[in-house]
Amino acid sequence: MRTSEIEKRPVVTLAGDDVAQIKDVVYSAGGGEVGGFTLAGRGLFAGPSKQALAWRAVSALGADAVMIDSVERFEPVEAVLEAAAAAGGSGGSAGAGGNVLGSRVLTDAGVDLGKVVDVVVEVADGPDPAGGTQCDVVGYEIEASEALKGAGTRLLIPLPDTLAASGEHLMVPAAAQQFVRADLAGFGAAVDDFRAALREGA
Amino acid sequence: MLVSQATGHKVVSVATAETVGRVDHVVVDPQRRAVVALELKKTPSGSVLRWADLTAFGTDAVTVGDAAAIGEPDEAVAFLADKHRRYLGKRVLTTAGDEVGSLDDLDFDHETGSVTALVVGGERLDGTRLVGIGTWAVVVRAAG
Repeated sequence: MRTSEIEKRPVVTLAGDDVAQIKDVVYSAGGGEVGGFTLAGRGLFAGPSKQALAWRAVSALGADAVMIDSVERFEPVEAVLEAAAAAGGSGGSAGAGGNVLGSRVLTDAGVDLGKVVDVVVEVADGPDPAGGTQCDVVGYEIEASEALKGAGTRLLIPLPDTLAASGEHLMVPAAAQQFVRADLAGFGAAVDDFRAALREGA
Repeated sequence: MLVSQATGHKVVSVATAETVGRVDHVVVDPQRRAVVALELKKTPSGSVLRWADLTAFGTDAVTVGDAAAIGEPDEAVAFLADKHRRYLGKRVLTTAGDEVGSLDDLDFDHETGSVTALVVGGERLDGTRLVGIGTWAVVVRAAG
């Protein structure tokens, strides 16, 4: 799922009330995971909310709504941003809630693959079986550079489990280039294959 | 009985044999998955008949012991009966956050008031899947 599609999606309680809508995605773990979401009120003129939603408080991220038990799961914006920053890992400022859109994707072989225009996430079981799910950042949609076939078009590039990001560059292994896809169908498999290849190589 | 059939039913007093109102809305408590009250129109007094106070929900009429059973809603019923929570035609979301259609009708047991099924896009979903009836959506437990 593209994060651009999540933005503006309604936040709905299990009781069926729309209590907010998604404003922005907050990244944690060096940009490798979704830590939560900032919120806006519902309605045309509603502004940003002082409340935010941590990923662990989300009961489901669906195609049409983000589901929560109740509004009691909301937390102050600062708490969610700080928690995501504290879980920033190796990513530094760009990963911890910073904006990756517009960054250049550079391979460890020094090739510029293009500019990030969207982030692709996937909900998966977390490492701790009792700890619920995690929302993994699995790829970027990039505006491809001359280095790729289909230069100038939008392509999807898979990401390793952990990645290094500064405000300027996102480093990916050169092998990622072989797993580029044109659309989301089959991209999940490409991510799995790419990560398996990295583990074999390591 | 389907809510679409129940709506418009006349309410008749057993004591006087007079029509004392008509069913305008069937009020459902999603937590109990049951009908808890009927909202009425054209009544001499009050607008709500609690499920516990009706004598029978027949195929042709709802009967009450006395017109005095019809009154004003208490806080809980007023909340559930809010017009923003009217469920017919409302979008149906699963607990997974996916829209599955809109609610065409709701089926309930005319003796117990239990919700037996939700009719969504021509398909009947088991009434036990009902989770919430809100201002934005009717929420049902995701299948499987």
